Amino acid sequence: MTNAIVQATDLKKTFGSGRTLVRAVDGVSLSVAAGELVTITGPSGSGKTTLVSMLGALLRPTSGSILIDGTDISTLDEAGLSGLRARTIGFVFQSFNLLEALSVRDNILFPAHLTKGGVKQAAPRADELLERLDLTTRQNALPRTLSGGEKQRVAIARALINEPKLIIADEPTGNLDSKSGQEVLMIMHDIARDHGRSILLVTHDQRVEEVADRVLWLEDGALRDRKQETREWAHDPVCNMRVDVWNSEIYSDYDNVRYHFCSKRCQDRFGKTPKQYIGATPQSQSHQEERPS
Amino acid sequence: MLKWTLQGLFLAPQQLLASIAAVAGAFVLVLFFEGVFSGESEKIVAMIERTEADVWVMQKGVGNMHMASSFVSDWKVGAVASVDGVKKVTPILYLNSVIEAGGRSWISFIVGMEAGDPRAGPWKSAGGAIVPEPGEAIVPDIFALDAGLSIGDSIWIAGRNFKVAGFSADTFSMANSITYVTLDDLADTISTIGAVSYLLVDAEPGVDPQALATKIMVQVEKVNALTREEFARRDFSIAVQMGLEIVWIMTLIGGALAVLLTGFIVYSHITGRERELAVMKALGVRDRAIYFSIMTQALFIGLMAFALAVLVLLIAMPTTEMLAPKISLGLSANALVRAGSMAIIASLLASIIPVRRVLSVDPVSAFQQ
Repeated sequence: MTNAIVQATDLKKTFGSGRTLVRAVDGVSLSVAAGELVTITGPSGSGKTTLVSMLGALLRPTSGSILIDGTDISTLDEAGLSGLRARTIGFVFQSFNLLEALSVRDNILFPAHLTKGGVKQAAPRADELLERLDLTTRQNALPRTLSGGEKQRVAIARALINEPKLIIADEPTGNLDSKSGQEVLMIMHDIARDHGRSILLVTHDQRVEEVADRVLWLEDGALRDRKQETREWAHDPVCNMRVDVWNSEIYSDYDNVRYHFCSKRCQDRFGKTPKQYIGATPQSQSHQEERPS
Repeated sequence: MLKWTLQGLFLAPQQLLASIAAVAGAFVLVLFFEGVFSGESEKIVAMIERTEADVWVMQKGVGNMHMASSFVSDWKVGAVASVDGVKKVTPILYLNSVIEAGGRSWISFIVGMEAGDPRAGPWKSAGGAIVPEPGEAIVPDIFALDAGLSIGDSIWIAGRNFKVAGFSADTFSMANSITYVTLDDLADTISTIGAVSYLLVDAEPGVDPQALATKIMVQVEKVNALTREEFARRDFSIAVQMGLEIVWIMTLIGGALAVLLTGFIVYSHITGRERELAVMKALGVRDRAIYFSIMTQALFIGLMAFALAVLVLLIAMPTTEMLAPKISLGLSANALVRAGSMAIIASLLASIIPVRRVLSVDPVSAFQQ
């Protein structure tokens, strides 16, 4: 791929040695083109975080090569890697990871300090991002006063302030309710489509498939074909959103039936008044698992 | 980055204030001790400076008043007086002795001054006579506070009884109080005949004291003559030398306390924000920028603590003088510069361990939940 922003070849990462050797990533090759939204999914412990840490120039591979925007990162020292991350990569984390002491605006502008133009040149971009992500009225607020959705929008704005070519997002919807999660996914989609950014998105959220260009399945440190037969769908009884039972981590058992939820928020609402949701939407009931008695 | 550095400290203002107060405590210890020492040292040279003689004449080989004894034959009083440029010569006898009164005792310097001549006497009166007559003594006002002395009460100096005729102000210190009696009484008490200790020389107007001192040494045999400034400087340096080791030990203890406290505070602060450090590293902030940030935080705490310590001392000085008049506090510019430098050094030392901690922060941990 000629216009690849990320080009990884035969990536391997091992931890430990001898009998305690763990192959976290084992021979992964992938490329991501400009404007492409690629999802990496897979079971917990499959090596997703290790893989994106390497692709984000945070962790050096044991072997293999990574080119980011044409730069072989194995040739860079720590300072060079820091510079590359500041200029070329934007990060969005599951836990938002905003700097608590700084206002929304200062959080967004923080990475601009690390580039040549500095805050002065980035200020108009910050205003534009604040407006685009509907944060203008919250620009002087401190992170602790924001909702989860707002925090993640600030984190996205921060990732975009230096106009990076690559954005790495790790479970960006993991701590959000379904509505905010949907909103974040649509923002990601727009960033890739409208602004030509490459996005590498690690997620369990199956809704991403609706916006992703490619879905990569990582299992035991290697990319594999996804086993479609293992997938089983349920519907969140609260919001009626589709949930992958195989990957679902949020569920409750009620009256010998297991109910799966898209978010903790829906689970909590269900927990307060389960009867309100059971039977209200026949469709949702039909897809829940019967628990063996 | 600077914004993050400083605003981060203010995230928990009460904790920050407590931290600064704790470090300030260490600086107060150092400055207070040095202040007491400096105050005492200033009192040691108070007589030399406040009597304002242009030149002091003493036995050859003697260069101090404190921790020294000087004997000058009394005929040299006339010899010095005859030197061209000398306006007046005032002889004094001077010794260290114990004073007893009202069941209390103090160590004091006893100055024997010529009866009826106030030239070498107390520079500030706190009541009663300012010049002792035979059989009388002028004592520091603090003695009166301590032992409930009044005018007319008896005191004992070197085993001889004197009547309190007056009180002097600014002549008490823990190490160097001054009591005045007549020269003849003191000579009689210590059985000295034909000798005095020091000569206070007033120069004619327009005469350079240094030139006059040189002239006196040339024209009068076996005497040493020093200008007031030089004599005071030598006595002050004797006082400083005597207390230097203790001051240094206190400074080191205070400095070590400041380093430990600042280090602990900054380290705790860094430990509490490790995730943010990981995020910052992931975003591309270089280690050296984070080191600089930590040093700035430590410097901020150190300098704020130093400023608070100075403020506390400025308030404490007049309060201490009121509540504990025996303690003389002096806060010199040199002491402030020294303590300020210590604050900077302590802050930089205190940031070493937190800086090492930063090295161990893995940016990959920003991905952890």
